[in-house]
Amino acid sequence: MSVAGGGGGTSSVDPKQTLLLGLIGGLILLYLVPFVPVLGPLFGALGAVLAIIWGADAIARVASYGLGTGVPSIGYMSLAIGIVGAVAGLTGVVIFGSGLELLGPVFGVVLAMIVGAIVALVGTKVIKMKIPILVRCTVELSGAAAISVLGFSAAIAGSLETAAILTTVITTGYIGLLFILNTMAIQHPFNACLGPQEDRTRTLKLAASTGFISMALVGILGIGVNDIWWVITIIGAIAWFVSISAFIQSSTEDAASVAWTGWWPEEEM
Amino acid sequence: MDPLILIGAVTVGGVLIGGGVHFIPVGGAPAAIATATGVGTGTAMLAAGSGMTGLITAAAATGSPLELVLLAGAAGAALMIGITMLIGNWVYIWGVGTVPVSAKVTKDPITGYEQEKYVTPGTEGHGIPTVCFVSGIIGGLLGGVGGGLIYYFLYNGLVELPAFAVAAGQTVSVPAAMVAGIFALAVFFVNSVVASYNIGGTIEGFHDPKFKRLPRGALACIIASLVIGIVGVLLLQGGAV
Repeated sequence: MSVAGGGGGTSSVDPKQTLLLGLIGGLILLYLVPFVPVLGPLFGALGAVLAIIWGADAIARVASYGLGTGVPSIGYMSLAIGIVGAVAGLTGVVIFGSGLELLGPVFGVVLAMIVGAIVALVGTKVIKMKIPILVRCTVELSGAAAISVLGFSAAIAGSLETAAILTTVITTGYIGLLFILNTMAIQHPFNACLGPQEDRTRTLKLAASTGFISMALVGILGIGVNDIWWVITIIGAIAWFVSISAFIQSSTEDAASVAWTGWWPEEEM
Repeated sequence: MDPLILIGAVTVGGVLIGGGVHFIPVGGAPAAIATATGVGTGTAMLAAGSGMTGLITAAAATGSPLELVLLAGAAGAALMIGITMLIGNWVYIWGVGTVPVSAKVTKDPITGYEQEKYVTPGTEGHGIPTVCFVSGIIGGLLGGVGGGLIYYFLYNGLVELPAFAVAAGQTVSVPAAMVAGIFALAVFFVNSVVASYNIGGTIEGFHDPKFKRLPRGALACIIASLVIGIVGVLLLQGGAV
């Protein structure tokens, strides 16, 4: 249980699990893109979904302390940091010499986490915000944001190369869409579920559904760019249906009054 | 372009954005139910609206001299926040049925109108009174100038690179404009949220006692923007294209 504004509280999900899932799982899936023939972009999209689930857990942990600015604000800030890191990583990786372009995404994620840490330190040291886990969660959120943007970018472009992402995601303006889409996917689950009876497993089921519906949309953006856009869309849509059903199921189960007494009889409605 | 110019532009732009947020009447959730003065939403949404509009108008002036880009950005952002406040006021006045009034001051510093009598007991005011509106427009202008400044210098730094050069027969390099635009937007969001943390979520404008926190907010924005500016220099590497 965790109450928005109360802070702390126990979570039914271990933060280390989501961290491993998002950071390690997300990065591994992201790097399958250039190495798996044909189906590569699908793994990029799945990596982004894992990162979104990780981000949703991190935002739930930090926002349960009550930021005073609402849950979405830290989501927008982290996505902004994530995009700065991702784009700077992709374009700036050449400083390590040529032939190392594939390091770009990891460099971007690291840059995003560093900027996230500094901005959060500004929050705690200069603005004197009293949230003990602000730095850790902002770092996690920035990393999740960067991986989710890179994963969806790779799913659209069909490759992890800077030039491909630059022409198909950034020049077309899809990067702006990913900015808002990923922010929504990361911040909405906790924003919708917060309250005294918030159950993290249920929140993360909603996070999976927002992630997968974003994946379905991202597949559509890939029309004309990569050949397996329809696989991404269909798998995203099916997974969305499964996860939103699971979320609705557990919401109904947790709604004690409904579970215990049932709906009122048809004729009285 | 000298990387230091870009870092400087991002830092100055970031401070202008962060400072601008302190002027905008952000009402938050209480204002959404008309129990506090200001626009009934959070900073992130106001930043998204006015910041994006400002950047679109600034980008429309791409290729023009610096002052025109800044002016375009300022006009776009101020116009958007102005429209938001105006339509919000219509809802508060004719929809909710409240008088635009602030509980933070006894008399409106600009019009001199009596405030206290019209504040519903138990609330902090309603709608967007004149002083908040004027303050909000100033905030929009500052934010737009800041966003335009970052956009202008990053765009001009990028078009010097072969990967982002203006194609023959065209006047604007779309890739450079998009990278500069998304980067400026990101700086806009980071600084508006940092400033929003500084004001604790809600503020009415320059007459609000919270406005005294401006120096601390500016310092926070300087540090945050400086770091983003240093990372932004990597963009000038242009990628392995």
